[in-house]
Amino acid sequence: MGIDLRIITFRDIFQYEAGKKSRFSPEFQNLSAQIIMDKDDMVQLGLKDGQNVCLENEMSKIVVKAIQTDDEPHPGLAFMTNSPWSNQLVKDNINDRIIPDFKAILVQASASNESVTNLAELLERLRH
Amino acid sequence: MAVCTGCSLLCEDIEVALKTGAIEKAKNLCRKGQGHFQALFSDRTVPSVEGGETSLDQAIEKAANILMNAKDPLLYGWSNSSLEAQKVGIELAKKLEAKIDDTSSFCQGQLLERVLKGELPSCTLDDVRNFADVSVFWGADPSNSHPRHLSRFSYYPRGSKRQKGYEEERNCVVIDVRKSSTAKLCSDYFRIPPGGDAEFAEAIIAILDGKMPRFGDKKRMIGLASIFKKADFGAIFPGLGLVYSLVQKMEIFENLVARLNDVSNYKVVPMVGHYNMRGFNELMLDETGYINQISFKNGVHHGSENSVTMAAKSSDACLVVGSDPLSALPFVIARSLAKSQLVVIDPRRSLTTDAAKVVIPSAMSGLESGGKAVRMDGVRISFEPIFESNLLSDEEILTRIMEAI
Ligand code: SF4
Repeated sequence: MGIDLRIITFRDIFQYEAGKKSRFSPEFQNLSAQIIMDKDDMVQLGLKDGQNVCLENEMSKIVVKAIQTDDEPHPGLAFMTNSPWSNQLVKDNINDRIIPDFKAILVQASASNESVTNLAELLERLRH
Repeated sequence: MAVCTGCSLLCEDIEVALKTGAIEKAKNLCRKGQGHFQALFSDRTVPSVEGGETSLDQAIEKAANILMNAKDPLLYGWSNSSLEAQKVGIELAKKLEAKIDDTSSFCQGQLLERVLKGELPSCTLDDVRNFADVSVFWGADPSNSHPRHLSRFSYYPRGSKRQKGYEEERNCVVIDVRKSSTAKLCSDYFRIPPGGDAEFAEAIIAILDGKMPRFGDKKRMIGLASIFKKADFGAIFPGLGLVYSLVQKMEIFENLVARLNDVSNYKVVPMVGHYNMRGFNELMLDETGYINQISFKNGVHHGSENSVTMAAKSSDACLVVGSDPLSALPFVIARSLAKSQLVVIDPRRSLTTDAAKVVIPSAMSGLESGGKAVRMDGVRISFEPIFESNLLSDEEILTRIMEAI
């Protein structure tokens, strides 16, 4: 069973710092390949903090870690840093708007037993 | 004192001491700046062609060759280069009759263009420190993007007309879709639904016009309008949250700013991210009348077809300077770039350098090479290299490519 989510990208200084040290480090992957979700949304998917969630739309599919928000409830909304992971899911319907939908990424989310999508896999997708 | 080129605040009060391969001591660097300086010591690039290490001369020659033979080249990046390098880059684009664009195309370009053309009133950050009693961060989270903004300019410092503590003399308003790190620090946080920026702005305009707001908690909205009205000097710092939300309705924001200026004195300083994005936009405006998205094929043509997000798919070769679009842009666009004849000038390894046909290592601007840049508020800042390096600067590499062409 899945639920619909709107993902909004945001800046995180820790992820930035990790990316500055190395885009290829496990630290950068850990801080990028995660999604901050509403508590009730996680309950609906049977997810506990830190478990894997699959995010899928017509652009791509990735598996990331679900992190429970410490903010007020925001059902249906989730947050990811801008990174090669979130960019997998950003639509290509730019036309005359030229600004991609970095803050309106619509996906289907479901619990996943698969491992987190790693950077090597994303690089492979870029080559094909 | 050193200048940090970690973001467009270009902090000029940095003190650093080095030991082999690491920073021994640093004063005044924020966490982001620390990461920026630390980047000197990891993942540095080497000259390469088709994935194989080569000499710098051969890499430059190959780069010139690719660009010279391209039918529709795109020159992209620029926001992390000095003004001197950007000038050579624009000359190179003219010589190649290429398309040229920078990151502003899909971030702060819309607002910055209005500021540069005088359509939105603006001021310096020093004015904000000295005079502002209201700072508004709208869709912006400086605690993560520009970590010293609040302490150097907009909330905590004492200024010539703001001698009392921030609790007494300054309001800091955050309007955002989530309780960001900045929202946790500010005096007034307003949460809006995604895309609710236009309605929020219209509600404030309605209150200023003496009408009831149709959006949000009426009492709080009226309270906010009252803070806005009572201000001596207000500064609005729009971030990407606002820009992306109002992308085709920016006149609503312009109307709000105009209306606020009927009742008080309000300025707008867009939260430019990269350290010299504004510099590139100013140079382009002087040169072409537009801040970005230019093609020099048979004259000067401006249009969205020249933006990186669109041109990446049509261009057969792309020169990327100091940027990692394969990380930062949507996958489909990144893949188009990865499949083109990609030439990258960058001090550090990235997804983009890994996919490039040619990689030319450069000195890190502000750390290993000097120059000038334009702060987010238009103030020009000069910087000297603080570490010795044999690496060529972006400017020198671009000049050599020009000469080879
Ligand atoms: S605020 Fe920006 S310029 Fe200042 S130290 Fe931090 S990263 Fe560097």
